[in-house]
Amino acid sequence: MKRPTTRWETTTGQVTGIALLFVSAGMFGTAVIESIAGQEGTAMMLAALVTLLPGAALWLWTRPGQIDRAAVFSAVAGTWIVVSVFGALPYLFAGTFNRSGIGFPVVLADAFFEAISGFSCTGSTVFGSHNLIADQGPGILMYRQFTQWIGGMGIVVLVVTVLPALRASGLGLIGAEAPGEGGDRLAPRMAQTARRFWYLYAGLTGLIAVALLAVGMSPFDAVAHAFTTASTGGFSTRDASIGYWDSVAVEMVIMIGLILGGASFTLHSRSLAARRPVHHHNPEFRGYIGLLTGATLVVTILLVDDGMGVTRALRSAAFNVVTLGTSGGFGNATGPGSDGDFVRWAAGPQLILLILLMTGGCTGSTSGGVKVMRLIVGISHARRTLRTIRHPRAVLPVRHGTGVMAEPMVERIAGFMVVYGMLVVSGTLVVAALGTDLVTAMGGVIGSLGNMGPALNKAGPTASFVDGFSTPARLVLAFLMLVGRLELFPMLLMLVAPYRTLHDRVRSR
Amino acid sequence: MVGGLAVCSGLIDLLGHGADSPPLLITGSGMGLLGALLFGRVTGPDKAKPVDIIAATTLTMALGILLVAGLYIMTGAAQRPDDALFEATTGLTTTAMSVIDPMDLGYGLRFLRAGSQWVGGFAALLIGIVILPFFGFGREFADRSSSDGYRPLAPDEMSATRNILRLYVPGTGLIWGGYMLAGKSALDGLLLAMSTVSTGGFTNGANEFADPSVQWVAIVGMLLAGSSMVTLWYLVAGRGGLHRQTGLAMYLGLHLTGVLLLLLPSTGVDLAATRRLLFVVAASVSTTGFPMDVPARWPTAAPVLLLLLVSIGAMSGSAGGGLQIRQHRALMKLALREMARQLHPRAVLKVRLAGRVAGEETLRQIVVLQFLFVAVTFLTAFLVAVFGLDLSGAISAAVHATATAGPVRGLDGVIVDPTDWPRSVRLALLPAMVFGRLSIYPAVVAVAALLNLLRDKARVKRRYKARKHGGSL
Repeated sequence: MKRPTTRWETTTGQVTGIALLFVSAGMFGTAVIESIAGQEGTAMMLAALVTLLPGAALWLWTRPGQIDRAAVFSAVAGTWIVVSVFGALPYLFAGTFNRSGIGFPVVLADAFFEAISGFSCTGSTVFGSHNLIADQGPGILMYRQFTQWIGGMGIVVLVVTVLPALRASGLGLIGAEAPGEGGDRLAPRMAQTARRFWYLYAGLTGLIAVALLAVGMSPFDAVAHAFTTASTGGFSTRDASIGYWDSVAVEMVIMIGLILGGASFTLHSRSLAARRPVHHHNPEFRGYIGLLTGATLVVTILLVDDGMGVTRALRSAAFNVVTLGTSGGFGNATGPGSDGDFVRWAAGPQLILLILLMTGGCTGSTSGGVKVMRLIVGISHARRTLRTIRHPRAVLPVRHGTGVMAEPMVERIAGFMVVYGMLVVSGTLVVAALGTDLVTAMGGVIGSLGNMGPALNKAGPTASFVDGFSTPARLVLAFLMLVGRLELFPMLLMLVAPYRTLHDRVRSR
Repeated sequence: MVGGLAVCSGLIDLLGHGADSPPLLITGSGMGLLGALLFGRVTGPDKAKPVDIIAATTLTMALGILLVAGLYIMTGAAQRPDDALFEATTGLTTTAMSVIDPMDLGYGLRFLRAGSQWVGGFAALLIGIVILPFFGFGREFADRSSSDGYRPLAPDEMSATRNILRLYVPGTGLIWGGYMLAGKSALDGLLLAMSTVSTGGFTNGANEFADPSVQWVAIVGMLLAGSSMVTLWYLVAGRGGLHRQTGLAMYLGLHLTGVLLLLLPSTGVDLAATRRLLFVVAASVSTTGFPMDVPARWPTAAPVLLLLLVSIGAMSGSAGGGLQIRQHRALMKLALREMARQLHPRAVLKVRLAGRVAGEETLRQIVVLQFLFVAVTFLTAFLVAVFGLDLSGAISAAVHATATAGPVRGLDGVIVDPTDWPRSVRLALLPAMVFGRLSIYPAVVAVAALLNLLRDKARVKRRYKARKHGGSL
């Protein structure tokens, strides 16, 4: 296809166009599966075509340019919103969420919610007893898993792999999308860096798929769960999630996969380059493992104290701590009231899970949440400030591992946590005002902002978000998922660049 | 002070049956004598370190709690030490989660309960206006400027203390008068006034606020008690510019917004219901916690809203608890600055609060204060959850304790009776109340100082042992 010589210079358009092309490719692939083994192949093909056309148009008629930070935020946030809108088409065309007595706006909201939950790797779902996952075709199921896989490493990161023309803007784009404080360079060129991230990601996905096959999953389920494990997404092809298999081996593979997915991919890359693991040298990774281990131990003790057997308690605690601590969101409950159904646990362990919903994994990983590095720096910052009261004239640096954290970075982290806290509080209030009780609202908001998946109380691991939240509340949560996935600022500041452009045009007239 | 309070309680008990007078008078006199002896004999260092003063504040609060608890045990008001400790803590920290039925108490003990809150409220004002700004952080916000012949509230530590008393004592008298005009007896009015002005929240029986005029006095009292002393000083000193005080506007705006949001589900405008909601909101924002029945149509968001109001709390420089409005304003401005920094990473952006540029160190400490507030709340919620409360109850109780905001309201709007909780839950709430009343920092500094002391002692012991055995460290 020949590209026109005069093209409109808009990085947002170019990035969005290529992102839509990737998504439509995934839709075509899953539509083929649906055509072979399901009934909605044609609808999915149509959705893929509808996504392909604007994607191709944008790719052909736009070209990237050098952009400032405000435009970077607009580009990244705009891409994610457009991709989520088009990503909802397969559900809409296939009638996935059509139910008797439910109007089109609710169906539209559900499709949008499921798409955003997928791309943002949150794993919250509107499927449930009213609309079983088991009733869906394999293409639709694989498409759900694919949305999480493509969202896990980042849609924009994927675009940068094929768009070397971005040059310096590439780092800004990756930085705006990547979890943590800016993007790490693995290679001199950003496109190379992005490609390396994706190779690692694909490799990890392959490894998990093979391991799941080895422990007894069918090839379809193994690939599907490998997609959502490496991406720490949490969607499953079964209504009972991992609880369907009720297998320690499957749970172990998923847990290891989630822990690797929740660790920094830069560390994985360095380990591969050094041909030995270097993870243990990293203070954030040590904190991450320490947090998961500590939380598992405390939850196990509390569950045993509550009358659960030691082995059952350890299994339930370890799985749920890892799945929520890495922002995975899988469930190992075999049904409501079973061991893994954490909303039936006592309040103590639930509160630990609520804290884990906030923490998340490491920076530079596929997980969500505040991130362990920010927590470590936050604690170190608090200790430093308290010491300043004791020694007012002392110059005390904030340490991270053996290194000293630069002061601007400390301030950025503190600012991030303040904004995060405000979003949690205001989000909880809004969701509660839309008819949700305190615990469900708080769990839902923290879970959505941290891209975790299940919430507490009425939206636990065996329940649907339809049970816990009204339609407007689900839309608020969907917005928070995008805000959380893009680490707050791109979504919050996405309108600055368009506003500036508009303002300049009005002034020039 | 506790001795004086006990003596006053003993004397007031003589107006009733007088059964509690002897223990109160004897113990109070003993405490007073011991205090006077220590005050006369012990001299402080010429120049005390700020950290020592901050740590001493915590120790004083802890000692006060123990002394008041001792009085409850001696008089038989509390049968068990943990009940006495809980009642004393909830009194001195102005939290008002009472486990003692005031109807069973004589005049003296009722006065002791309300008096402990009054002392606690005064201590909170000292911490907020004298100790933290002069020895901790936020010095730039102390009202020290004497330009245009204006006499500031806090030019130095001693004057600030005197000026606080000049407002606190007449304020109590004013509210007392209001309650009496509204039909309360002199003693009941005094006790309620002491609980109101200190944002304490103890009451002396059920249906204390059944009368609308009493409700209005309580509403005005709570509004005043939750206002900054600087604002009240401006009023008294006749200095203009109140309309430019963003903190005051936010404080009043919180009340208005709270009432409007709670009124939303109701179908018509009912003055009595509006007054009751204003009472509930004022009790939450000022963290007084006076109980009041809520309308039958209680929206699901109402408990979340009230919990949020409680955690925001009153104005800084007031007797109210919570994280307080100035801190929230600083956090909001920090959030906006962070967003601006995302767009302009190298820009030098200052945060202005109350017409002054806030120092970076102050801002840093406010951020850390927020972290500590959240940490204390979560830790407390975890402990009380482990000890038997359900999740929403645990979160609610922890927020109320840390904000020193009085009785906990359930999700259905009904006020929870702390005597229904297990004893371990009540004990787990005590540190949060103390931390909250001391504005977190002094308590954390005191704990850190204590840990340092223990560590130093252990180190000295280790070295001594090593030397004794001929080794070296």
